[in-house]
Parts: sequence; structure tokens; C-alpha cells
Amino acid sequence: MTSTSLYAGLDSGSPKARRGVLARLELTPALAAGLLLLAAIGAAVTAAPILTAADPNAVNLLAVRKPPSADHIFGTDAIGRDLLARVLFGGRVSLMVAGAGMIGSLFLGTVLGMMRAFGPQLLRAAVDRMIDIQLAFPYVLLAIAITSAVKPSVPVLILLMVLAGWAGVARVVRAIALQERSKDYVKAAEVIGASRLRIACFHVFPSVLPSLMVLAAMQTAAMIVFEATLSFLGMGIQPPTASWGGIMLEGKDYITTSWWLTTLPGLAIMLTSLSLVLIGDGLESRTEKLRAKESDA
Amino acid sequence: MTGTPLLEVENLTVTFPGRNGPFRAVDGVSFRLAPGESLVIAGESGSGKSMLCRALMNIQPDPAKVGADRLEWQGRSLKGLDEREWRQLRGGEIAMIFQDPTAALNPLLSVGRQIIDAVLAHRQCSREEARARAIEVMGLAGLPEPEHRLSSYPSELSGGMRQRVAIALALSAGPKLIIADEATTNLDVSIQAQIVTLLKRLRKELGMGLIFVTHDLDLAAEVGGRLMVMYASQPVETGAVVDVLRDPCHPYTRGLLRSAPTLHSSRDTPLRPIPGQTPKPGTIGTGAPFRDRCPVPVAGVCEIRRAEWTEAGPGHRVACNRFALEGRAGLP
Amino acid sequence: MTAPVLEASAIGKVFTGRREGKIHHHHALRQVSASLSEGEILGIVGESGSGKTTLSRIMIGIESASSGEIAFRGTPVRRQADWRALRRQVQYVFQDPFTALCPTMRIGKALAEPLAIHGICPTSERQQRVAQMLEMVGLHPDIAGRLPAQLSGGQRQRVNLARALMLEPQVLICDEIVSGLDVSVQAQVLALLVELQKKLGLSLIFISHDLRVIRYLCDRVLVMHLGEVVEQGATEQVFDAPSHNYTRALLAAIPDRNRVTDTPI
Repeated sequence: MTSTSLYAGLDSGSPKARRGVLARLELTPALAAGLLLLAAIGAAVTAAPILTAADPNAVNLLAVRKPPSADHIFGTDAIGRDLLARVLFGGRVSLMVAGAGMIGSLFLGTVLGMMRAFGPQLLRAAVDRMIDIQLAFPYVLLAIAITSAVKPSVPVLILLMVLAGWAGVARVVRAIALQERSKDYVKAAEVIGASRLRIACFHVFPSVLPSLMVLAAMQTAAMIVFEATLSFLGMGIQPPTASWGGIMLEGKDYITTSWWLTTLPGLAIMLTSLSLVLIGDGLESRTEKLRAKESDA
Repeated sequence: MTGTPLLEVENLTVTFPGRNGPFRAVDGVSFRLAPGESLVIAGESGSGKSMLCRALMNIQPDPAKVGADRLEWQGRSLKGLDEREWRQLRGGEIAMIFQDPTAALNPLLSVGRQIIDAVLAHRQCSREEARARAIEVMGLAGLPEPEHRLSSYPSELSGGMRQRVAIALALSAGPKLIIADEATTNLDVSIQAQIVTLLKRLRKELGMGLIFVTHDLDLAAEVGGRLMVMYASQPVETGAVVDVLRDPCHPYTRGLLRSAPTLHSSRDTPLRPIPGQTPKPGTIGTGAPFRDRCPVPVAGVCEIRRAEWTEAGPGHRVACNRFALEGRAGLP
Repeated sequence: MTAPVLEASAIGKVFTGRREGKIHHHHALRQVSASLSEGEILGIVGESGSGKTTLSRIMIGIESASSGEIAFRGTPVRRQADWRALRRQVQYVFQDPFTALCPTMRIGKALAEPLAIHGICPTSERQQRVAQMLEMVGLHPDIAGRLPAQLSGGQRQRVNLARALMLEPQVLICDEIVSGLDVSVQAQVLALLVELQKKLGLSLIFISHDLRVIRYLCDRVLVMHLGEVVEQGATEQVFDAPSHNYTRALLAAIPDRNRVTDTPI
């Protein structure tokens, strides 16, 4: 430690003002790239019937494991189904399940996290223990336990995702809500007679919201991978319905000879999570920037 | 004035590249400070007083540019100094104390370790000598039982004690000038009085120069020496503290003194607040900075032209168009 | 003499914490009593750690006392319902204008909220009441559409004041409300406070570390030191003839422009 410590924290200049469209929309390059990528994937999946004329479940034993070509851009799988169609239609299922899982876990996590901060004493302890247990419990194990008891289906899969995801959300919400709760404006609301529910919903929740948006992106990315994992393990979407993890499972036996069967759906998973992580990161730095601006004023 | 002044500043400006074109956060500051002298810079938030201090230490925020017709430390120009030379000067010959002492102290190191390190950074000596020096400066800073305090951590000390440690740290290299930027603002009044007394004593005993920045004109009176009142990045009045406070000649200085209750004021003599708010940086243009809140602006002049310095007494100068026109008779 | 509007009797507050493994009791307040009479401005002055803010927070029930009792117009306040009733009549303005307003709520909504909570006036009239109140504290009604971050410190403190006044309280407790403000803005807020107090007939508790402000504003003053009241009395008496050594030391420490030191330059 030299005497320059005297000036610690003062040398850092304020960030240089960036002008232009990106700056005005508060879009960082990462955020813009992520949104663009996700929009492209979403559009492709939505427009699947237009992009490909092939039926994702039409078996053609005469064209088995054809490498990518002009006829079959992504090639065909072990029983001659068009892989592009399967990846696109499978993407619908994967994204839908992940989206539903994200919404469910975000909702449950937020409600429980806010209850932890504002609920009665007994409930607080209960939520804390539930979070601890959930975070300590490997969710693949949970999935195996549940799918061995109930036949895997889309609703079961979504339920699994909600169960796997809520605790992480609740932990973040709890932390932010507890921090906000100790601030003067919450006390001020108490003084004017606001109930706890009112304080939680109208005063504190808006402060949690930006972080929830970041979580939503990150959570969806995790859900995509989770769904793929489960389907790959045979505990997710059941054949013949295509899903990204399921397609990889079907292609796994041919991984040495027919690379496209696993690589292309894998790429779809990777790009989708990448876009979501970019969005999450972008939102996070944007929130931080806005906060800094707020405290500057 | 005898000998070379410590610091001589002429027409110092700090310019920021703003969204709507560059603006000046500090505009046209000039002063000279001799060893053992003190200069109080008084102003409200947005007056540019803190930015001025940082510019003097070359620690202004990144996009800001410092310009001056003259910026000399002991007769040697500071313009074009490189970062290594600035480091030698900062903490060595010029030291700074901040409003928040925790900003200057590392929470993970004992105060003794930090002061010893600071001593070693600026002079060639053994660790033992550095330790002795640390104890000496801690004593100078008024820390009781300095030998025992060496092993204390900042978190174990009260706010006042922490500020004393920050002062000891500032004194460690034997600076010739101390810049105290609102150094007593967060402290209790009794602690504030002790710190001010301490700084005055150090100035006298060690012959140091002192630049004391405050928003409190009453505190300026306690510190003494010369006073420069700043408003919206510009100096508006300067002179001996005694002269300025007894005979304020700028409408802003007068307004500020009337706004602040004293120990003798009561509700029967209501405060007369200055209406309005400090203008945002970059909105002043070429006119007089105080024109929008001034009770006696000179119509047609204050909007376009800031005042030249006018002599109000020996060493007492005012930058006010009204005063230049009518003298004391025109003041509110 | 009529019963005091708000009275704190023998309030004690102990914070229990652990330090180096040992349980440590910190007495933030010891047997503190204070009473506020109808229409008066009571100043509570003290340095950091004196317990003045803790006392004020106990008086509005956002912190609980370890011992002692608060009474409003002679009636002790004990149950949660009592506190709710008290807060219709007693309001509180926080020290820091930057944290006392919800950062995500627009000013208009923040001001209308007390009315909404207590169902005081029909929704259609609320915006008008908000505009009137903003005007009363010297702000432009347009401010209702802004967020706290878009206001200056002085404006925010006015908004805080306005919000506390929305319920038309009889008592206002102000905790260091001008400490964070520039001198010229501080004077504006003080002048406003005096005007409002006269206009609305408020009884006021004004907490500050700044004796100059206390002297200017208050009828009576209570000097606190390390959790105890060391001196109280009429402002003139306490300032002109302090009886306690601590008060004397405090007064001597206050910078005073009339004590200009003629040190040679």
C-alpha cells in the first residue's frame, strides 16, 4: 500500500458519453446481439412450416442418415426424417417448455422470495429451509425420482423445471427485497399506514423487477439446457415428438459416423442459450448503469 | 510578500465535454498561497470547489481537461508534468484530506501499516525509522497513544479518529500544503472544532499551506486566512476572511450569510433564503453566474457579460456588475 | 396545563449484539422522557450516537422501545392498532431526501398514496389535493409526473414534507431534514417549515445536530448526550445560560462568523 491509496476510488473517471442509436435505446452491443439472435431463432421456429415443406415425423427409409445436401439442408436422421424440420419443430417444443418453466419458476420464486422478506415469522423460516433444501438437492436426481413415478409428459416436464428453478429466483428476490426493506422509503410507507402487502407490491417489487428480467433470460437459458438434458436422458419429451434434446438422443449412437445428427441440434441449443446469456448480461449492465445514473442525480 | 509562493494559480479552468458542448466546472480561478498561509474556498454544491481541489492534485475525473495561464508549485510549472512526477508531488509535497476518511483508508490493513507504507513511499529510510515517523505524525494528528493505535483497524475507530488517521497519513511525507476538502463536514461539531484547531496548529507549527474547502461560512471564519467564495464554478468574491464576512460585497455572499442561521438568530429575524436553485453546469453561458437568483442584476449586462474583478478594499475583490457600477450603495 | 400532545416517558432502548463472542448490550437510550405541547416546536439536539433519531423513531413506532411508554394526548399507545391510529395524527419526515422516497414511484402517486390507503377522499379529487399540496410546499404541480431521481435534494425534501402533510397530521416529527441540503436551500426549507407550522397549527419535533438551526427554529430544546437528556428548557435559556457542561462544550464548538480570527495572512 503506497500513499496513492489516498486517492483510491477517485481516479476512475465517469464513463465517456457514448452517443448514437444504441446509446439512446440504452442498448449495449451485447444486448443488441443477443436480442437479434433470439429474434432470429424465434422467427425461424415460428415460421417452420414456411421454411421447410418436410414433415418432421415423416419416415423415409430410403434416405437414411443422408449428410446435409440441397434436398435436406440439415441432412436426415436414422429413419430418414428431415433433420431441419425436426430441429425447427423440435425448437418449438423446447422453447415452449423452457419458456413455461421460466415463467413458472420466476412466479413461484418471486412470490416465495417476497414472502420471505415480508411474510410472518414462521413462513420466513419455512421459506429459508425450503430454499436450502432445494439448492442442495441435485435436480437431475429429482427429475429421475419424479419421472420414475409419473409418465413423462410436457406438463410434468414443466413442473420439473419450475421445481428446479424457483429456489435460485427466490434467493435473489429475497436478497433484494431484504435490502430494500431496510431503506427509509419502506419505513416512510409504514408511517403513512401502508400495509405489508402494499409495501411489497407497490414499493419494493418495482425495485426487484429489473433483476427479475435478468433472471428471466438466464433462467430460460438454463431451462433450455435442462430440457435438453432430460430429453437426452429419455426423461423429457417422448418420441416421436421432436425436441432438441430428444433429437440428440436419437443421434447419439451415430455420433462417429453422422456428425450432423448431434452437432446441429446441439448448435441450436448453444446459440439459443448464448443469445439468452447475452441478453441477461446486457440487461444486468444496463440496470447497473441506470442505477448509477440514478444515484448520480 | 516574501519568498516564492507555494502555489500560484492563474485563470485555472476545468472543462468537461458535455452532451451539449463542453462546459466549465471550474472557471477562472486565480490565487497565490505562501507557506503558512491558509485559503478557505467556500461554496455550495455545484460551485466547483471540490473539482478545483482535484484539479490542483491532477486527480480530476477522466474526461475533464485542466487549463491554466499559470500553475506553479514553488516557482516550477506543473503544466506538462507526467503521472510519475505528479505522484511524487501528491502525497509527498501536497496532501489531501477528504470528506469521507474511509475513502482514504484501506479497511483491511492496520492504520500503522498504512502510515508506515506511506512514509516509505516518499522517503528513503528503514522500517524502524518509518515506524517512528508514523508514531510522530499520529501524535501530530492528535491521536492519543499513537503506539497503541498502530495496530488498530479503521473499522475500530470513530469517525473523528478515522479523520485524524487520514490527517496523519496526509502528514506522513511532510507535505508543504494540505488540501482539506469538506474534511469536517461529516463530523460532529465538537470533533469538527478539534480538527479545525488541529489544522490551524499544524499550519502554524509546521509552516504548511492550507487550502480548506467548506460550504459553511461560519466555519471559514474559524479557519481564518483568505477566503474565496465560489458560485456555479466561478469565484465571485475573494479577500481576507475577516473582510469578506464583515463586509460582504457580492450579492451571493450576502445572500448566503443571510440564509444561514447563526447562534444569535431567532425566528423574529426571519432567514432570507436565496430563491431558486444553483444553475446546472453548462447553462451559465457568458453572463454573470448569479444573475437568475440575484436581487439586483444589472439588466442588459448580467445576461451577457460576467463582471471583471473590482477592488472593494485592500486585497478584497468582487466580481459583480452591480458593485462595479454603483459600489456598496447598489447592494441588496 | 393541558396534557401534552405527544409524550415519551422513561424510554429505554437496548441493542443487543455480539462482540468478540461476548453478548454486548448497548444502551442507546436510558430513561429518556420528552413531551411536546400543543403548537410548539420542540428541538432535540445532540451529536451522533446521542440517541436522538432512535428516540424519534420510537415516538412514531417504527422502532420499538425496550422500556417506557409513548402517549398521545394522554392515552398510552400500546397495541398495533393504537400505532395505526397515532400515525393518522403524527407524521414523520426522514433525514435523507434521497432514500425516503420510493425510487420507482412517481411523485404524484407517492403523494396520493396516504389518501388511497386511508380512503380519505374520492379518487377523482386526489390529483387535485396532490396539486394543492405541491403548491403549498412551493413546488410546481407538474412535478407530480416525475420520478424522485429527477428532482434536486431540496425539491425531494419538500416532497417528503408534502407527503407527511397529506394526512393533515397534528404533529410532525422532522429528523435532520435540512442536514443534507445546501445552505441557501436549507433556508428555503426552514422558512417553509415555519410558515406551514403557523398556517396549519402543527406541533413540531425538530431533530438536528446543528444548534444554529435549532436556535433559529425552536421554542424549547432538549439536549441529548449518549442516550440521556442532559438539559432541557426554553431555547433562549439553554443557549444563553446553559447549565450543563456538555451543552456549554457543544455551544463553544459551533463555528461562528462573529468570532472571526484575525490571524495574519
